[in-house]
Parts: sequence; C-alpha cells; structure tokens
Amino acid sequence: MTASFFDFIAAVAVALLTRRPPLLASLEESYRIGVKSLPILLVISTFAGTNLAVQGHDAFAPLGGQHLVGMFVALAGVREMAPLLVAAMVAAKAGTEMASQIAVMRIRQQIDALEVMAIDPHWLLVVPRLLGIVLVLPALTMISIFVFLAAAWAVAVAQLGLNGHAFLALATDVTEPKDLLACAIKALCFGVVICVASCFHGFSSRPGPDGVGRATNAAVVTSAVLCAAVNYVLSELLYG
Amino acid sequence: MSNGAAIRIERLCKRFGEHVVLDDVSFDIPRGRTTVILGPSGTGKSVLLKHIVGLIEPESGHVWVGDVDMAHASERQKQAVRRRFGMLFQDGALFDSLTAGENVAFPLKFHTNLDEDGRRARATAALARVELPDAYDRPTASLSGGQRKRVGLARAIVLEPEVILFDEPNSGLDPLTSDTIDALIVRMKAELGITFVVITHDIVSAVRIADVIGMLHGGHLVAFGSVDAVLRSREDIVRRFFARNITLPDPT
Amino acid sequence: MEPLIALGRFGLFSAAVWWRIVTPRWEVQETLRQTWGVSIRCLLPVAATVFPFGMVMSLQGLQIFDLFGAQRLLSSLVSVAVFRELSPVMATALVAAQGGSSFAAELGAMRIKEEIDATTVMAIDPIRVHVVPRVIAALVATPVLGLIGSASGIAGGYVTAVWLKGEPAGTWWANLWALTQLSDVLGGAVKCLVFGAIIGFVSCYNGYNASGGAAGVGRAVNDTVVTATTSAVVANYFLTTVLFGSVG
Repeated sequence: MTASFFDFIAAVAVALLTRRPPLLASLEESYRIGVKSLPILLVISTFAGTNLAVQGHDAFAPLGGQHLVGMFVALAGVREMAPLLVAAMVAAKAGTEMASQIAVMRIRQQIDALEVMAIDPHWLLVVPRLLGIVLVLPALTMISIFVFLAAAWAVAVAQLGLNGHAFLALATDVTEPKDLLACAIKALCFGVVICVASCFHGFSSRPGPDGVGRATNAAVVTSAVLCAAVNYVLSELLYG
Repeated sequence: MSNGAAIRIERLCKRFGEHVVLDDVSFDIPRGRTTVILGPSGTGKSVLLKHIVGLIEPESGHVWVGDVDMAHASERQKQAVRRRFGMLFQDGALFDSLTAGENVAFPLKFHTNLDEDGRRARATAALARVELPDAYDRPTASLSGGQRKRVGLARAIVLEPEVILFDEPNSGLDPLTSDTIDALIVRMKAELGITFVVITHDIVSAVRIADVIGMLHGGHLVAFGSVDAVLRSREDIVRRFFARNITLPDPT
Repeated sequence: MEPLIALGRFGLFSAAVWWRIVTPRWEVQETLRQTWGVSIRCLLPVAATVFPFGMVMSLQGLQIFDLFGAQRLLSSLVSVAVFRELSPVMATALVAAQGGSSFAAELGAMRIKEEIDATTVMAIDPIRVHVVPRVIAALVATPVLGLIGSASGIAGGYVTAVWLKGEPAGTWWANLWALTQLSDVLGGAVKCLVFGAIIGFVSCYNGYNASGGAAGVGRAVNDTVVTATTSAVVANYFLTTVLFGSVG
C-alpha cells in the first residue's frame, strides 16, 4: 500500500517533469474545479465566518474584550480557517470526483487501454488535475477570506451589536500581506495533497461498484487526515 | 382468475420519459407451468418482471395476482403477494456482508418463527436442492457466477413460494454452466410443480425449459403460445430472431 | 424547480425513516453491528485529525496570549475551543468522509446490484433492515467519536504547549477546566448528535437512491460528503448561536 503510493508519486513526478504539461487541459481542470466548488465554498465560508464571530464574542466578552472579536476572527480566519475551508471543500467536491472518475476508468479498463496505447495515464489524467488545482486554489482562498470576513463582520454588527469600524480596524491591524501569501501557500500544499491522494485511490480502485465507492471513500479520508497533519507542520513553519 | 392463470397481465403500458418500453401488453401466465418471456436485450423484459413484483408502477394497465392488482395495490397488499413469490435476480443480488447460507436464511428470519438452528437447517436443505450442500459458511465473494445464481435460487425457494421469477438466469455464464443452470431449472420445476416465469434472451435455453413462450419486441408481445406454436410463427421478427439463434450452434 | 423536488424527496425519505425508527420492529443486532462498525472505522481518522488541530490551536493561541502575558489561559482556551468547535466539526467532517461515504457506497452498491429490490421482493422492508440501522449508527457514533476527538485534541494541544514550547505542565492541567463548563461538553455533544443525524439521513438517501452503475455509486459518495459537510457547517452556526451565543 505505502510502497505503491510512493511508486505512484514517482510516476506522477516523472510525468510532470519529463513531458510538456498539457496546458489547455490543466486550464480546463482549474476552470472546472473553480466553478464547481465556488457555490459551496461561498456557503461554507459564510457560515464558518458567522460561527467564529459568535464563538469569539462569547469567548472574549467575559474577559471584557468584546472589541477583540475583529482581531480574533481575522487572525483565525486568515491563518487557519480559510485555507482549511478551501481544502475541506476541494477534498469533498473535487477530490471525491477525481477519485470516482479515475476509479470508473480503472474498472472499465480504460487505464489499461491507455497503457497499451503507450500513453502515460499519469500524464494524461493526474498532471492536468494537479496543475489545475495549483492554479485555481490561491484564487479560491482569497475569495474565501473575503466572504469569511464579510460574514463575520455582518454578524458582529447585526447579531452581536458590535462596532463595525472597530471590528474592521482591528481586523486589518493584525493581518499583513505576508499572511495572505502564507495562506495561499497553505492552500496550495493542501491542493497537492488532496489531488495526489484522490488520484492514487482512484488508480488503485478494485473492480465493481463497491470498488468505486470504496476508492472515493478512502480518497476523502486520506485527504482529510493528511491535510490536518500538513496544516500543523505549515503553521509551525510559517507562524511558529 | 379462475381459468388456471397464476398471473394476468392486462393492457400494460410503461414509458421512461419519451421511451416507450411496454406498449399495451396483455397475456396470462398459466399456473404450474414454465412461461419464458423471450426477446433481445433492451425490450423491456426486466421491466415487465419488475411490474409483476410491484417494483415499478405502470402508466396504465393491470397486473393481477389473484385478486390483487400489483399495479395499484397498497404496499401492505404487495407485501402479502410477494410472500408467495421467490425471485432469482440477474447477478443473484446476494448480500456481500453475509455468507452464502446466511443469504438463504435471510428471509426466514423475517417470515418464520424458526430459531437460528432451525433457519440454518432449512437454508442448508435449500442449498442442497441447488447442489451446494456444503456452501453455508462460504463467503459470498468467493462464489463463482454460476454458484451465485444457485445460492440466489436457494434463497428464492427457501420459503416454498407459489411462483418463482427468474431474471436472465443464463446471463454472464459460460455455455457449460449455463447448461447446468437450465438442467437445474427443469429439475426444480419437476420437483416443485409450481409456476415459473423466466425472462431470457437465450433462445436455446428458452426452448429447453419452456412450456409456454412469449416474445417481446419493441414493447409489444409479438408471439405467445406453446413452444411449437411460437417456433412455427409466421411473424417476421420472430422468425428472424429464432433463425439467428438456432443456426449458430450448428455450423455444418 | 429541480432542487425543490429533490428536497421534497429527501423530506419524504426522512419521514419514512423516522416512522420506522419509532415503530417496531427494530433490527437490534444489525443496528449494533453498524454502530460498532462505523465507530471503529472512524476512530483512527477522527483522533488522527483532531490531534494536529489541537496542536495548531496551542501554537496560535500561545502567540496571541504572549501579547497579553496570559499564557496560563492557554489550556482553558484549547479545551473550550476543542469541546465546542474543533472536535464536533472535525469529527463530523471525518464521520461524513469515512462513515457517511461508506454508508452511501454500501447502499449504492446494494441498489445497483439489485440487493435492495431483492429485499423488497422477499417482502422485507428495505428501509427497515438496511437504512434505519445505519441512520441510528450515525446518530449514536458521532457524539461518542466527538468526545474521543476532544480528548485527542486536548492531547495535541498539550504536546505542542508542554513538549514543544516548554510551557509548564502543571499550569496546563490546573487551568484546563478553568473556563470549560459542563454546558460546553454537552453543547458539543448536542452538535454532534445533530450532525450525526445529518450524516445518517444524507448518506442513506444518496446511497438508497443511487442509479447509473458504478459511476452512480461514486456520485452518491461524492454528493454525500459535500452535502453533509456543507449542511453541518451551516447548522453549526445556528447551533452555536442557540447553545453558546449569549447575545446582548
């Protein structure tokens, strides 16, 4: 299992480095991932933002620091939540789709057919998805941050009765451009993890409808566990 | 329903979107005989079978089983009718989480008061009838295609039904296994003496096991009668279908 | 119009499942089997995911508390955050990803391989024997896994604070329950229960109504993870407001 996982990564790396990447297909992938994921991302970011504002208010109000909500939301949102939300959504939507599409191709012997035709399936199927995710994720992350903060601000003002100006002032005080960059780097790493894990499980699908189901299942669990671990390492490196 | 019909199909129509699958189909399935519904793939044979067990509701028409119209009955009435049916699905439709024997014992758990030992004994007896006497503890995944169908058949007969329905009993099997399944069906028919309804596209097997043959084509029942009568049919489509299938195994 | 029809179908399905949950007969053995199975399958993923989140919480919390010189409150912050938010949400995401998607995959495969039709033809109610045990399993397992996840998250926070950043262990343990109240633990469990219901109904609905061969099963799993996670995040905001939102 682990051995074949590293073989898979090696095969993808070889395909990525030794051949001209399929640029048009990659653009199409990133368009597809972006457009398909956007509606859910908007919903998730909105409600994660509103939720965090309520929690932050409840946590800081007893300490007399109501106005700190803006700072708390901005720090938590930009540093941790936004990249993770993007990762969760991309794993759930695009990752499962990659796994099930490739698994279906595997059980219909289309991948074997590609090999027989001397077309590297890693180059044709994995590389565009990888490049597509890498291209689109930073953009999705920025959108997520914006929606997240806007929703948190709206709740802070409308539901919690906080001062909107103070909220924004503190929120912009604690965040710097390099935070946005760090956030985009995180999202990128998650994208690579999700894409590789999902495609790997698709490639190693066993036959039959159960096989496709199980591959999709394994893809999203592996993605989540790996992303959580990678997130700690990145937080330590970027902010520790 | 007195004239020896176990099931009466009356003016049955079914569409899926624009596609007409069954167009005004009517016939009687005689009690205690083997009726084979024959036809090329995609002619609505499976759909017809699913109407009989009430899994699909038609656009119009009736499926009479005794006094119950499966096309319009309540779920409770349908359940009562299904208790008298057994059905062999195309790939057996066995539960992969259970062993072969547990699959056969599954309906016993719900429809009898037998304890676990009693269910095991009944299921083993049913497995013996399909020539798999030692298969109770075998995992479903380890069964071959032919064995899956046998276990499916054992599950269909374990509650001693009045009617057994077969959905493509030969599909996906090699010719030899296919022959043994045919032989098994013929022997079961002789032993049980109940009503069999078989749908198949395999004409050799149809001729071998049928008392009555109906042929479906393009949503219509184009022939219906005894095996001889259908073989001698003048209907063009019937002749073409039989000609192709009958001449194949005889390349002299 | 299409989403409304789907929502209506989902409502009818849920009502049918609820009806069978409150009326006999119950598949006790199968329900226990499913509950045990999903708990075991999700245990490691949940623990393994919440643990690093506890670590991150400690890491980021320390930075903030450094500004105020309030490092001693770190363990309180981690435990409140883990019980109220991190563990319920992460446990739910993982139960949806592991348990919910396997329910959808199993039921989807059963639908495609005609096992559900076979159950109906045997005059056995497929919702009662195949769906209800799984829904109850999700309902029971999610809160339990949430609590296990909380323990794992606090352990993760401890590892970062004490082992990696050299905060005193005594302070950590002394303040662990300073801000956390029973209501936080119970609130987290209530969240898990609601999320568990979402996972159970969504996954079984998608699997039970799968169509279109192997690709259809993949689609059912995909829809389950997306819909369950999104609904849980939306529900989470309202639950937080109701359970913890001391407005005004």
